[in-house]
Amino acid sequence: MVSNKLQKNDYIKTSLRAYFLQNGFNYGNYQGLGYANMLFPALRKMYKDDDDQLQAALKENLEFFNTNLHFVPFITSLHLVMLENNTPAKEIRSIKMALMGPLAGIGDSLAQFCLAPLFATIGASLAQDGMIMGPVLFFVAMNAILLAVKVLTGLWGYKLGTNIIASLSEKMEIISNIASMIGVTVISGLAVNFVKITTPIRYVANMPDNQQKIVAIQDMVDAIAPKLLPVLFTGLIFYLIKVKKWSTYKLVILTIVLGIALSVLQLIA
Amino acid sequence: MTISLFQCVLIGLWSGFCLAGMLFGIYTNRCLVMAAGVGLILGDLPTGLAMGAVGELAFMGFGVSQGGSVPPNPMGPGIVGTIIAITMKDSGIDVGSALALSFPFAVAFQFVITATYTFATTLTETAYKALDRKDFKGFRLAANATIWVFAAVGFLIGFGGAFSSEGLQKLISFIPGWLSTGLGVSGKMLPAIGFAMILNVMAKRELIPFVLLGYIAIAYLNLPVMGVAVLGTAVALMVFFHAGRGGDSFVEEVEVEFEDGI
Repeated sequence: MVSNKLQKNDYIKTSLRAYFLQNGFNYGNYQGLGYANMLFPALRKMYKDDDDQLQAALKENLEFFNTNLHFVPFITSLHLVMLENNTPAKEIRSIKMALMGPLAGIGDSLAQFCLAPLFATIGASLAQDGMIMGPVLFFVAMNAILLAVKVLTGLWGYKLGTNIIASLSEKMEIISNIASMIGVTVISGLAVNFVKITTPIRYVANMPDNQQKIVAIQDMVDAIAPKLLPVLFTGLIFYLIKVKKWSTYKLVILTIVLGIALSVLQLIA
Repeated sequence: MTISLFQCVLIGLWSGFCLAGMLFGIYTNRCLVMAAGVGLILGDLPTGLAMGAVGELAFMGFGVSQGGSVPPNPMGPGIVGTIIAITMKDSGIDVGSALALSFPFAVAFQFVITATYTFATTLTETAYKALDRKDFKGFRLAANATIWVFAAVGFLIGFGGAFSSEGLQKLISFIPGWLSTGLGVSGKMLPAIGFAMILNVMAKRELIPFVLLGYIAIAYLNLPVMGVAVLGTAVALMVFFHAGRGGDSFVEEVEVEFEDGI
């Protein structure tokens, strides 16, 4: 029976199977299939000669499940620890479902709202300068960090059990706070760099000494504040999203129509 | 420029891999990554990189749409847009116009993916039935089915986009000059949507100083991006270390000190 006991390796292996969490994604039970599939090898080992128990365990875990796939190892590790300690299925399920939401929140805010935009903007600006390092850096940095997150959360779940979640989310909050400060700085900086709107309007002004001078509106705009037009336009879009709750389709259509119309009228270039 | 059949297949495989990577969570389904790959395959890396940069910024915000809805897929600009940008470079299509032209494709791909998720709902039933028979292989097949569909769909989109690029080329050559200029201008404005969307999610009231910090660093100081990131880190750490005693008022103080330094 000793061989049926899960080793640390089994926990790490299950954690790495987080990559397969969405392999069966569907609108019916979201990651439910994937969750059962993630546990499969570990369950197979636990119930080596008992197909009935394996069948029951898999069926129990086919229900709806949806969380962040980089933080899910925390749940699966905890799940397996409890299973090995003969925790009742009902309790395991309630913990699994209770953790699903908070971990999705922490994970999404870290991966999607901090890391991805940060590395994407850095990568894009390197790519803009023709450097292949741009996409490479983005891809490698994202995956290295998220792989570490998977293994670490898996090991945390394994070692520390249920009472860790409170302190973990506290630490995550600090990290994600700092990351969003950096992220917001970089993103707003790049917004004014990448959104390019200039105006070609010029007019001829008569100077007092009968000379004529060509005045470019763009120079006047620059004197007020550099990159003013991109800032104003981004601000307008921000307002439409935040206050008017416009959908992205409307925004894209507005932008394309505005771009074509104003360029035909020679107001912007 | 014509694309050989071999290149079509390569683009198909690359698209399949990138789209499947969306489910793996390995960040391949991003314009930046996909466009660079297409650029390499077609032997025009500079255009691929430029397209990737423009598309990534325009689509960045779409990755974070809330409420479980499927956003327009970056395969639009990343694959089709890059093919357009590279093959039609000589007929006056720049990356900005290619981005605008590829947007309908991004929306179309979005529908394909939603449809895949919807049809995949039957997989759960298949899995239950397999388990009833104690057919664990069948269960695993069902649990991995969506990813294979994604890989196949990705392949078809990539291959099709590359294969019919001449048809695409003809279609686009009908577009009048004012329209493609206008689309180019729009393309340069589109990143605003991506930035505004991401800021809408991230920028809370107490982060406004960091919005200003980023603006100052780029618009006035012309710092390189890495410099902006380091500057942001420095201020973020200052706020963090002083959070205990300064509280909210400290954030403003930092900002003032910084502006004095210009």
